[in-house]
Amino acid sequence: MPADDAERTTRTRRQVLAGMGATGAAALAGCQSTSSEDPADDSLSGTVDFAGSSTVFPLATTMSEAFRGGDTGEAHPDVNFNPKSTGTGGGFANHFCTGNADLNNASREVRDAEAQQCTDNDIEPVEFTVATDALTVIVNTDLDIDSITVDELRSIWSAERDTEQWSDVNPDWPDEPLELYGPSSASGTYDYFIESILHGGDTELTHISGGSYTGTEQDRTIIQGVEGSTNAMGYLGYAYYSKSDDRVKALAVDDGDGEPVKPSLETARSGAYTPLSRPLFTYAAKSSLAEPAVAAFLRFWLEHATSEAIVADQVGYVPLSQEAQREQLDALTEAIDAAGSADE
Amino acid sequence: MAADTSDVTAGFGQVSRTAGRVFRALLLAATLFGIVFVTILLLYVANDAIQPLTADPGWHLTFFLTLVVPTAGVGAFVYRRSQAAFQTGMLALGFVAVALLFSGGAAMLFIDIVRPLTWLAVVVALAVPAAIAVGVTAYDQRLPFLARFGVTTAAFYLSLFGLPGPLGTVASWLSQLGLPIPLGATLGSVRLVPSVVDVVSGVPVAPAPWLMLVATVGGPIGVVAGHAVARDRGRRARVAASSAFLAVVAVAGVVGPAVGVTPVPAVVVAAVGVVPPAAYAADVAVNAPRERVGLAVPATVIVGSLVGAGIVSVVGLAGPQSWVDWAFLTSAHSTNAESAGFYPSIGGSILLMLSVAVLAFPVGVGAAIYLEEYAPDNWLTRVIDVNISNLAGVPSVVYGLLGFGLFVTHLNRPAGTVLIGGATLGLLILPIIIISAREAIRSVPEAQRAASDGMGATKWQTVRNVVLPRSFSGILTGTILALGRAIGETAPLIMIGAPTIKFSLPTQVSETVTAMPLQVYAWSSLYATPDFYTKVVPAGVVVLVTVLLAMNSVAIVLRNKYQSHD
Repeated sequence: MPADDAERTTRTRRQVLAGMGATGAAALAGCQSTSSEDPADDSLSGTVDFAGSSTVFPLATTMSEAFRGGDTGEAHPDVNFNPKSTGTGGGFANHFCTGNADLNNASREVRDAEAQQCTDNDIEPVEFTVATDALTVIVNTDLDIDSITVDELRSIWSAERDTEQWSDVNPDWPDEPLELYGPSSASGTYDYFIESILHGGDTELTHISGGSYTGTEQDRTIIQGVEGSTNAMGYLGYAYYSKSDDRVKALAVDDGDGEPVKPSLETARSGAYTPLSRPLFTYAAKSSLAEPAVAAFLRFWLEHATSEAIVADQVGYVPLSQEAQREQLDALTEAIDAAGSADE
Repeated sequence: MAADTSDVTAGFGQVSRTAGRVFRALLLAATLFGIVFVTILLLYVANDAIQPLTADPGWHLTFFLTLVVPTAGVGAFVYRRSQAAFQTGMLALGFVAVALLFSGGAAMLFIDIVRPLTWLAVVVALAVPAAIAVGVTAYDQRLPFLARFGVTTAAFYLSLFGLPGPLGTVASWLSQLGLPIPLGATLGSVRLVPSVVDVVSGVPVAPAPWLMLVATVGGPIGVVAGHAVARDRGRRARVAASSAFLAVVAVAGVVGPAVGVTPVPAVVVAAVGVVPPAAYAADVAVNAPRERVGLAVPATVIVGSLVGAGIVSVVGLAGPQSWVDWAFLTSAHSTNAESAGFYPSIGGSILLMLSVAVLAFPVGVGAAIYLEEYAPDNWLTRVIDVNISNLAGVPSVVYGLLGFGLFVTHLNRPAGTVLIGGATLGLLILPIIIISAREAIRSVPEAQRAASDGMGATKWQTVRNVVLPRSFSGILTGTILALGRAIGETAPLIMIGAPTIKFSLPTQVSETVTAMPLQVYAWSSLYATPDFYTKVVPAGVVVLVTVLLAMNSVAIVLRNKYQSHD
């Protein structure tokens, strides 16, 4: 456009110089050294990948949150966490033993086949006990039953017994069909229940071979199912039960000595609540322990494994005893030293 | 003939309107069925998340008087004067809401993900070769095409990567595989010529971060906004308008700290959230005098909200105890429901959408152009045609498996990263992008192509100058709707091993990422306290749906604009 051209030509050199000078001065005034933006280098940084049991998952994420956040006095905001809830077996097979995770949480001990898979990939799992879980057998609050024996549990849950009704198990119980709720067979909780109730004799629970079982990873669904029917029975981790203990009733379990024991933090830790209390683990890849972030996190976890506030109140598991904690910490120090020297 | 007539009458039977009415009612029920159920669900969810009834009655009354009543009054007045003005006003109001939402996302990018200096470096590294490309195009007549293409490509490569760059890495891979490449092994690690990105991000002294953003974000947005307002009033008006908008952004950086906002987010929010709607309002005020009155609607809403908020805070009336609050939007997950937040998931979703758009858009549009404009009609293209439609219906979990198998197992990339998530979701929505882009390209009138051909244009010139400009907003609409599908996907992210929970945002595409639906799923399944599944999950759903609706509203506005051009 001609008007534009006229405008351009009438702009004097002085105006241009003044404009450039002003812009330059403004830009310089806002300048600062770029090096000051770098974060302090002495803080711990790195990434911790963990996979595994959905039972341990809330405990592990609570620990990671505390480790990053600093409510407990130390803060490591530059350490990143990649937590995945995959189930114990899924974690070993797809993440941990393939070298994609530093830690695998487990609600049971590692199986031989899984250990073999790890060894084949040059991954050496190191076991740490982090808490105790109590499995809880729950029924509807309106049901007039307060305790149950292990034998009764076995005949209710075993796939190889033929129980359809409550009265088939115990003549004092109602003539109503049993509705069973529990975790799916991918869950470590399922495996543990089989082990402790069926003693490895029978290999399946009722619900897997059909029947009225509702298999689900979601413990909340188990609570809802039992809450909704007076004929229902379910089992799940104590953590989940303790947060809904006004909605369902926990049965006291009699392991054959005639004295039923109610599940609670005290009875689980003391060992009185048998056979349904179990240790929870996390497995560390030995090579990962050479990474400062992983080692520091695991040390933090074990140091706080006795904390009632975190383990019991926030997550609902039974904390380690002082003695057990010392053992685990010694094992960790040893493993870190070994990993460090293997690394060199 | 008489016999025929009686036959017809007999066949017609008794005439009644009942059947027709029942049929019509059934059709209406079918139409409303889904909408009503989803609306009821969303109302429940929003009620759980926001808890409007926990607010002080005085709070409700205040906002009813300062916001609802004036807005209804002004709205009715404007609507009666001119429907077009009312529409303009509502559009401006929506524009403000959506722009502010997007500016929040953009601010998040510059606070936690991209350092402003790195951003400046990339902008400079793109601007330098772009300028070279423009310069080379001026020699259009004298240089052969291949020379121009070569110079442009080399300039971009040098500027972004330096020498040897990624080609060196590829060469060293190949030499490890045994190919005889001179110096192959060393090419991957040495750096002969630094890239512009390295040079700029390595400077010891740089402007303050917010000043860099004023220039790199506020500058382009200001120029576009200035041009939109000034239209063809000449160079002086354009410069004045652009400078005014740029000044708004710069002032935000200076004023921000005074009102408690750090300069970087203040600048970004001003540039992305304030300037565009302001430009729209200015454009209406200056260029559309008959619709000017419509701007009273957004003005009433903004002033009403501010006045209401002022009164409420002065008098001390408690608002609703909403779970969707500032802390929820800006903090990370916590085992404690009260302090659980959504920030890493929101940022993760934004990053995933950006990488999906970058990866899937060029490929999808390219395929659509080929299929519509170039492909011969033979059995091969017909097979491709049918299969693209089939691919659009493949369950997302299958794409997740594909992504895991291809990228993690086969190419051995780390699982669950931004890049892999973006690539997997990109594959998922690729067929949708192709289909909608083809639709948009097909709707360009054949007569326009014929006119272009008639003037002696080549196929390439017709596609570039006629087809693409005419269909672009349609293509964009389809892409945004497809992104809307991707942002809600959970299954593929689980399959590729994205972490269930993240405490921080990734700062690189090779870091792991989580997304909003994944976080909501984790909250609903892994944390059994009632607060999680009755409060935190609804809050997450409200944020997710809000982002989705904002994206879709952009698409709908684009589509309306596009249809009104026809």
